[in-house]
Amino acid sequence: MTKCKISEAQVIDYVIGALDVPSAAEYRHHLTTCNHCIRQVNVLKHVLQLVDTAEAEITPNAIVLTDLNSKLYRRLAEEPLQNASVQSRFTDFISRLGLILQLQKPAVVGLLAVVAITITLLVVNPFDNEPTFEVDQTESANARIEQYHHQGIQRSMEDVIRNKHLRQSDEWGTVSQLNRVKDQAKGTDWATLANKHLKGVSSKL
Amino acid sequence: MISCSILNESLANNMDKMIDDEMLVTQFKSGIQKAFDELMKRYERRIFSYLLRSVRNYEDAEELTLEVFFKAYRALGSWEPKAKFSTWLYTIASNLSIDYHRSKSRHPVFTFEDEDVIEKRLVATDISSNPEKQLEDKERGEIIRAAVDELSAKQKEVFMLTRYEGLQIKEVADTLGMAEGTVKIHLHRAIKKLQTLLQPLWENNEI
Repeated sequence: MTKCKISEAQVIDYVIGALDVPSAAEYRHHLTTCNHCIRQVNVLKHVLQLVDTAEAEITPNAIVLTDLNSKLYRRLAEEPLQNASVQSRFTDFISRLGLILQLQKPAVVGLLAVVAITITLLVVNPFDNEPTFEVDQTESANARIEQYHHQGIQRSMEDVIRNKHLRQSDEWGTVSQLNRVKDQAKGTDWATLANKHLKGVSSKL
Repeated sequence: MISCSILNESLANNMDKMIDDEMLVTQFKSGIQKAFDELMKRYERRIFSYLLRSVRNYEDAEELTLEVFFKAYRALGSWEPKAKFSTWLYTIASNLSIDYHRSKSRHPVFTFEDEDVIEKRLVATDISSNPEKQLEDKERGEIIRAAVDELSAKQKEVFMLTRYEGLQIKEVADTLGMAEGTVKIHLHRAIKKLQTLLQPLWENNEI
């Protein structure tokens, strides 16, 4: 028996059905005359049959995958969006929010109301009697001192005018009071006013 | 009334089968969640069988099947159908299977026997002379599967995908990212190696 020139690859292709129709027909014709190829084909078919049987043993006919569908969705719910872009995460968040709003409208409205009230109480605090703004304490003290200073001058000036009208004869006493007011009111408009009255009284002396 | 509902259910099932995978993908992209459930129903057993043959462990295969659909779900929104949906699924499964074997090789639970040892075991297993045929069949199955596991990762992938998943050479090439010629070379080498490793079995049986 002489070894034929058909390649090993061609024999394998014939056995696994990878030859095109004309080539397969041609090889089938060749098999009628070549014992070497017949043996090769039989050996390969037997090898594949052995492997098929062995592989079938470990693959049950009725595969029951226990609740794969539920497992998948549970896994998807648990797994964070690790590789998602910022845009897709934002879109996902918005869509989830929309879904929640759609499904749980009364609960969401209630929750939002509670949040709004809490924020109002924290920021505005209507129960607090303290002023809502703070004034600079130093500035306020100086203003008050200035105010009291002017009030003191005004009182002294009023006393001078009252005494002048009540005690018309005591010109010297009036001049003396106006000079004290003038010293007290130095640098203010009251000093100008005191000076004006002082000139008027002095002219009568 | 009952017959009507059965008829409707049957029609609905037939309609489901009429919708091709790519159409279901389009539906899923437009927000129809049930389309993915249908895709999963179509392929979960096939993907599981493929992974079971690859990893040889029921629990691990189930876990990897879940991982395949998890990855598919996450990526399907941006998937462009350059190949068939099934091919894409097998690509994910194949990559996970490769990762699994890499991880196992880094942390080996057991070591594979070398070819000489397998051949010696094959010679010692003469099924015609042993009366306990059932046990022998089981042992013979294990030996044959051990021989399959002796194939290189690529040879095994190509062999499994063409032989048991019914994929054409071109589909395997797409799945594994190889040229068609390379797929054929791996397939020929796989079958030749199996022939060499399993030779003692048929020599003892005088086929």
